[in-house]
Amino acid sequence: MGETLDGLLLGFSIALQPSILVYAFVGCILGTLVGMMPGLGPLAGISLLLPATFGLNPIIAMVVLGGVYYGAMYGGSTTSILMRIPGEAASVMTCIDGYAMTQNGRAGPALAIAAIGSFFAGTFGVLGLMLLAPTLAAWALAFGAPEFTALLMMGLFILAYMSGGSMLKTLSMAGLGLLLGMIGIDQMSGFTRFTYGLVELGDGISIVPVAVGLFGVSEILLTAGQEEPPKVQKPKLRELIPSREDFRLSVGPIGRGSLLGFLIGVIPGSAHIISSFVSYGLERRLSKHPERFGNGAIEGVAGPESANNAASSGAFVPMLALGIPTSPITAVMIAAIMVHGIEPGPLLIVDQPELFWGFVASMYVGNVVLLILNLPMVGLFVNLLRIPYAYLYPCILAFCIVGCFSVNNSMMDVWIMLIMGAVGYGLRKFDYDLAPVALGLVLSPMLEISLGQSLAMSAGDYTIFIERPIATTMFALGLVLFGFAIKPLIFKGKKDWRSKVGLEGE
Amino acid sequence: MLIRLAIFSAVSIALLGSAAVQAQDAYPSRPITMIVAFPPGGVADKNARPTSAAIEKVLGQPVTITNRPGAGGAVGNAVVAHAKPDGYTIGMLLSSVSVIPAADELFNRKPAYTLDELRTIALISADPMILIVAAKSNWKSVKDLVDDIKKKPGQYSFSSSGIYGALHMPMEMFFHAAGGLKLRHVPTKGGAPALRQLLGEHVDFTAGGPAAIGPHIRSGKLRPLASWGENRHPAYPKVPTFRELGYDIVYYIWAGMFAPAGTPDSVIKVLRDATRTAVASAEFKKAMKNLNSPIVYKDAPEFHKYWRDDATRLAAIVKMVGKVETK
Repeated sequence: MGETLDGLLLGFSIALQPSILVYAFVGCILGTLVGMMPGLGPLAGISLLLPATFGLNPIIAMVVLGGVYYGAMYGGSTTSILMRIPGEAASVMTCIDGYAMTQNGRAGPALAIAAIGSFFAGTFGVLGLMLLAPTLAAWALAFGAPEFTALLMMGLFILAYMSGGSMLKTLSMAGLGLLLGMIGIDQMSGFTRFTYGLVELGDGISIVPVAVGLFGVSEILLTAGQEEPPKVQKPKLRELIPSREDFRLSVGPIGRGSLLGFLIGVIPGSAHIISSFVSYGLERRLSKHPERFGNGAIEGVAGPESANNAASSGAFVPMLALGIPTSPITAVMIAAIMVHGIEPGPLLIVDQPELFWGFVASMYVGNVVLLILNLPMVGLFVNLLRIPYAYLYPCILAFCIVGCFSVNNSMMDVWIMLIMGAVGYGLRKFDYDLAPVALGLVLSPMLEISLGQSLAMSAGDYTIFIERPIATTMFALGLVLFGFAIKPLIFKGKKDWRSKVGLEGE
Repeated sequence: MLIRLAIFSAVSIALLGSAAVQAQDAYPSRPITMIVAFPPGGVADKNARPTSAAIEKVLGQPVTITNRPGAGGAVGNAVVAHAKPDGYTIGMLLSSVSVIPAADELFNRKPAYTLDELRTIALISADPMILIVAAKSNWKSVKDLVDDIKKKPGQYSFSSSGIYGALHMPMEMFFHAAGGLKLRHVPTKGGAPALRQLLGEHVDFTAGGPAAIGPHIRSGKLRPLASWGENRHPAYPKVPTFRELGYDIVYYIWAGMFAPAGTPDSVIKVLRDATRTAVASAEFKKAMKNLNSPIVYKDAPEFHKYWRDDATRLAAIVKMVGKVETK
């Protein structure tokens, strides 16, 4: 513990140097902007900035890129809440209740809770990173393909809780998402599937253009289809601040989201996206009034937003403690320090204490910066809603196109986004929920490869899933969840909340 | 975004400005785009950044990097192969450039591009793969490993960066040279996840580049058994090569610069000369040393021969491995 304190003091002595503080600030602002751009998420943001950091010293490079990373996680929520456009994939869940809150005239509290939740989760994440990095890193390594399969199966079971409408519609949308995820090269055999000779489809359809299209573009189309232009909102200052009741409802989701997000973030893979889905499912399950979800429940904003920010801190655990990137984002950050001749690895904390502790301390600083930056901006952002739709929406559409293109410099992604916009428009006209499509698309390629890997490890023997403690536990949990989900289908007498609120027509 | 925007505006202004005078201007009269077929931070990107920085100093024109990742490099490789052959689009491509057409042929796919659509500028770097096992395993040598695998065929497993990928190919060379070893193959989506499989003890062995595995060997987690290099690697003087051990196999991951096949000789000459000067600069050497990327420079004709020999060898392995389901 004493060592940790010494380290932290060293870290703060570095992170609070004016020059580094300025860079942390710049990183956070850039990140927030990148996160707000539809389609441009943290990965695109730090990839674009990576070359610019080559001329800086390695600590500053890490501080800037780290700031961009968690700044983008903060910023991603803004457009989701205000315009139903996920700034990045992990904000998909925030769209649902966040935007519903905006439509109820409560954009201010939604933005404020997202910022506060992110702050607590981020700080919690850094604490976890600082105190538990070596321990958790070992756990992350123990997380192999069978464990990942079990985690993803749990994710699938959670699908059943995702939407407020009919179970049949939810599952059909999840099926659509899973099928979309099948497109591309099969990782186990090298076969290409459903690519119709298009090389760009080899890696499959990525979540970013799909999420922006399904949620954002479809919203723009729906608005255009209304006979009367939607009323421009004129929020009052008093309505910007979350009420006592809002805080009371959000405490639990923020706490649970932080813990869950951090743990899931440590796991190798694109886990920060899953963390927000799992948190949403969990909050809905725990809520006494699940019917409020989808109609502007503040828990539906607080939970997922906390989870994805905690997950972004969690992702640094294996990176800093072992030098192993667990996601494309941490891979880019590792490249940023390698350029300076620093070798990431298990000895990084010992060999480069200034770098490690400086970075950890800068994350504390960064979270404070982001809170200071974001809370006063709530008023400014909410005032964006005053812009008449005739001017606002064409601009947003243009931003969506530019954002999606610049992630991979690929026109194909722009086409996918536009097609998904049309598909989303059609589906919403028929009252289908779109979040299960996004979750299905995220889960299916990961589930497929980890199932394939597990069976490759065991030469086709399924008992591998019950021989490994972590995997077995998670499967058992998943089955329990699944049992809860199908209970109303088996015991017709005991109606679940869906029929109570008259959503499930029988 | 701003940076991208700034680059974009700079490039577009330059494009518009130069269009009129292009005919009489000597190459290069406007910025050059270097395509990298992998995301920022990967091996290709790490080679491309210092190279482009050094070349733009020689040429006096910006060399901007555009990452076009996708389909294991096929997307970016195809972009280079099909670009306008005017020297303004070149690519920093990896050894996988030779494997993709072979895999396309194996699956009877319309090829994303063919090797004849590309021509060489220069080889920049090459690194051999190294066979690694967990330090606590009983395998102290390749012989121990081969003996055990032969005793229990199909019981041990290895991870790779993906099927027909940069780690799978050398492994199959080894298994074939050792008399047809039977293993469980766990493909992943890159070199780092493949290494993670071994560190988490989910597989028995894997291969890795000298730079990536270094920290884990020094921290006592992994043990190197042999390298696929022609000679012993300077960072691992005690690790024998497969050749020394009686297996006639060599495998390097290399990064080289390519242009579309139709690029005129005069333009290629400018690029070759610029690259030769660039790789000799102290700045470039320092940057590559920091990145742990050994400079192995070969000019176009030599590189062409090196590349085609490598491609023939790899195509044969792809054919030998065949499709998964036919096993």
